Amino acid sequence: MKAPSARPDVKPVRLFAALGLAAAAAFALSLAVGPAGLGIAAQGEARALIFTEIRLPRALLGALVGGALGLSGAALQGYLRNPLAEPSLVGVSGGAALGAVMAIHLGLSQVLALALPIGGLAGAAVAMLVVVALAGAHGGPVTLILAGLAVSSIATALISLALNLAQNPFASVEMVFWMMGALADRSLTQVWLAAPLIVAGIALLLTVGRALDALTLGEDAARSLGINIQRTRLAVVAGTALSVGAATAVTGIIGFVGLIVPHVLRPFAHHRPGLLLPASLLGGAVMLLIADVGLRLLQPWMELRIGVLTALIGAPFFVWLVLRTRSELAP
Amino acid sequence: MRRTAAGWFWLLAAVIAAAPAASGARAAALHKPGRIVSLDLCTDQLLVELVHRDRIAAVTHLAADPAVSAIPEKARGIAITHGAAEDVLRYDSDLVLAGPFGVSATVNLLRRLGRNVVVVPLASDLAGIRDSVRAVAAAVGEGPKGEAMVAAFDRRLSRLAAPAESPLTAVIYQIGGSVSGPGSLADAALAAAGFRNMSAAYRLSRGGQVPLESLIAQPPDLLVLSSQADEYRTVLADNLRHPALAILRQRRPSLELPWRHWLCGTPHIADAIERLAQARAGLEARAR
Repeated sequence: MKAPSARPDVKPVRLFAALGLAAAAAFALSLAVGPAGLGIAAQGEARALIFTEIRLPRALLGALVGGALGLSGAALQGYLRNPLAEPSLVGVSGGAALGAVMAIHLGLSQVLALALPIGGLAGAAVAMLVVVALAGAHGGPVTLILAGLAVSSIATALISLALNLAQNPFASVEMVFWMMGALADRSLTQVWLAAPLIVAGIALLLTVGRALDALTLGEDAARSLGINIQRTRLAVVAGTALSVGAATAVTGIIGFVGLIVPHVLRPFAHHRPGLLLPASLLGGAVMLLIADVGLRLLQPWMELRIGVLTALIGAPFFVWLVLRTRSELAP
Repeated sequence: MRRTAAGWFWLLAAVIAAAPAASGARAAALHKPGRIVSLDLCTDQLLVELVHRDRIAAVTHLAADPAVSAIPEKARGIAITHGAAEDVLRYDSDLVLAGPFGVSATVNLLRRLGRNVVVVPLASDLAGIRDSVRAVAAAVGEGPKGEAMVAAFDRRLSRLAAPAESPLTAVIYQIGGSVSGPGSLADAALAAAGFRNMSAAYRLSRGGQVPLESLIAQPPDLLVLSSQADEYRTVLADNLRHPALAILRQRRPSLELPWRHWLCGTPHIADAIERLAQARAGLEARAR
């Protein structure tokens, strides 16, 4: 039996099997590629060291951060019922970066390593609450984007201020790290620091699938189905803040993953947020891992930033989305 | 506008990657200037050691920063300028010393206002250090003192053992993964101590950075680290905190050689060369 619309009729089992395989393949590829050569050209001790201490954390972070970004994008789009919602566009990533910068430059992360992801988490939560308060749960796409722009701009300005006030000679280079993101030369220490919070956020976000399914019918209908809107909002805000906050604290801002992945996967997930959430988790991991592999194949000597690549792919997609949204809103 | 962090970064980048700019030092005034302002970490250090502090009106804040200045305690207490023309004018100086990077707009403005500005060339080799010393000494009217400083520097260098037949390799690995490339002052220090700078063996980014993975795949005989991870609070120092680097340092010889010894072309670079030569002697003894 054919689906009535042109949407591809993919069984959820097949969708998840395909995405899971793609994620596993991308993860393996990420372990196999690097500036020291395809596979690992080095021999002996260096080989093990490169594999476990440099490529493994990079692949783990690629999977975790990509998954967090994809999932939170899907959750934000579902909760706000807004196709343009995405962690970096609504200012959550900017807030997270600001929180992490404060944790580092106030010296908190030297006293307690966990202060870094917690700083990111706090910054992300504040940004998220401000954006939701500014745009309102019923605000249209334009209101949300404007609120996100405002929060992002303030976050960027404050990061720049903090870096320059700290009188460290590297302020301008560090700005690039926070704005463009990086998976290069990250360590397992950073993985262990961020992973528990990212995973907790992911777990929290995955619980809202049923609520978001009901919300597609409108808030009143969702309430009549027994959905607790307050609890859903709390879970989305907290889950996004946890996962994106901790992720951004160790990799900087990586944009557009949370925008593209849910949009590409939505038709395959039958436009059901409950399916789209786990699909976007896997899809985000695939996208970021592949982008990072591409980066290393293109330029193994770490000049190009991962955020540059995702923006190059994502920004044109964003423009297309804006045009489509505009034509839908037009009389 | 105060001296920006960006400006300072470019100075760093220039020292590290060494694109030596040849701007000739303006020769000396006949009288001895008595209200001198210095706008560059490197001229700060030469100035503080060549003239009595009564004659110094202001230096940069970096002169007293122990991470980058060889003489932080001597510079402590001297007034600080942030390098903007307006700030310099406040001191009503009769001589302004500047480096070739990052302050050209200020220098031009001060010259248009009739101020006596001497741009001291940045040394990119040991001979360049002698030139820098003489340029500053001439500008401040302390020629003989400058010659004495150069002579003392040369005496220290001549005491070093002759470089070995087949030099060992070394890499100066810094914050953000930067390494000192060929043609830099650090490269000259390595060569003077009998090391071959291995930076050319890696594929570097244009900013002169090497991925940690490449360093581990192809380590030098001696790994030289220029700064402590916690010297500055910055995420860019994460590469120095990386467990893989710690493991590499357990397995292979390494030496900590702080920036203050070699960032600027002053005679203090002899400290860096002596420590490197000592490390080389240790490595050779172990190989025998």
